Amino acid sequence: MNCSSDLDLKAYVVGEVTRQEKGLVEDHVRGCQSCREELDRLNLTRSALATLEDEEIPRRIAFVSDRVFEPRWWQTMWRSGPAMGFASAVLLAGAILVHGFEARPVSVDAAQIEKQVESQVNAKVQAAVTEAQAKQSAEFAKVVSASERQRQADLATFQQAAEYYQKQMARIEVASNGAYGQ
Amino acid sequence: MIFREVEDRDLIAKARRGHVEAYNVLVSRWEKRVFNYLLRLVGQREDALDLSQDVFLKAYQNLKKLDDPAKFPGWLFRIAHNEAYSLLRKKHPEAEMTVEPKMAESSAGLFPIESALAVRSALARLSDDHREAVLLKVYQGFKFEEMAEILSCPVSTVKSRVYTAFDLLKQTLAPVNSGGTE
Repeated sequence: MNCSSDLDLKAYVVGEVTRQEKGLVEDHVRGCQSCREELDRLNLTRSALATLEDEEIPRRIAFVSDRVFEPRWWQTMWRSGPAMGFASAVLLAGAILVHGFEARPVSVDAAQIEKQVESQVNAKVQAAVTEAQAKQSAEFAKVVSASERQRQADLATFQQAAEYYQKQMARIEVASNGAYGQ
Repeated sequence: MIFREVEDRDLIAKARRGHVEAYNVLVSRWEKRVFNYLLRLVGQREDALDLSQDVFLKAYQNLKKLDDPAKFPGWLFRIAHNEAYSLLRKKHPEAEMTVEPKMAESSAGLFPIESALAVRSALARLSDDHREAVLLKVYQGFKFEEMAEILSCPVSTVKSRVYTAFDLLKQTLAPVNSGGTE
């Protein structure tokens, strides 16, 4: 192409020009053989391309009623209110469970805390046992003391009774001797 | 065209609300265009069909992410572009999508008589990037700005690809354009 014009012939052929630019190109090619020939070649190329027709699609695209277009399980669930509520509850329970499992190994001081708690519990238990033992000893001493007192009282009563019987026996003996002796 | 666009927008809105039949209609409207774009880009019918299936599946799954329903065509072809290039990279990872067309047959001037076959052959000789630029511009009628969004590249790059592709096609199709006499 020998013309030094900056008109865009390809843009004209592919329809990317304004009405004004279109007019400029058409005016120019009337007087410029070089550009006219170039435009003819481009138009012929464009026309040749247009001879290639679209093919019919061999088979129709799978439609949304087909399996591939069916909503996924989470999409179905998302649209269902009660199911979504149930899923939320399950999710929440799962989160709590996971948190429970996850929380334990996270703390490194858990063993120390466990040891502290154990020692505190042991101390409390020991104190309680000691207290119980002391209380039991006191109760035992009290019972022994009461028993001793009762024994002493019984002993005194027995001695009195014994003395009484001895006296009575002595009286009977004296009386008897007197009667037979006469 | 405007009426059709409004209808597409309605269908998208309904499909977003879970009306599967609305999406069915949308698929039936666009499947042929998407399939032909993919077929010309990847070259294999079965691949194009599988990719078309994936494109509409992904489009359905991501329909709520589409900000402006009016941009559905570009958005859909962007998905198609990504799917196609994913396959092309798997098939020839070393080729970097910048392979220059093979000129062996074109330089000899030996082309099929039928124009459509010649065009198909000429398109197949283009690099993937150049071929895609022609497909989107000539066969799908997207504007440079829309193509830039689909391809995630600057408008200047899109323009450059289309123009280069046209230059290459002009040379390759020259014998066809002149009736195969050259």
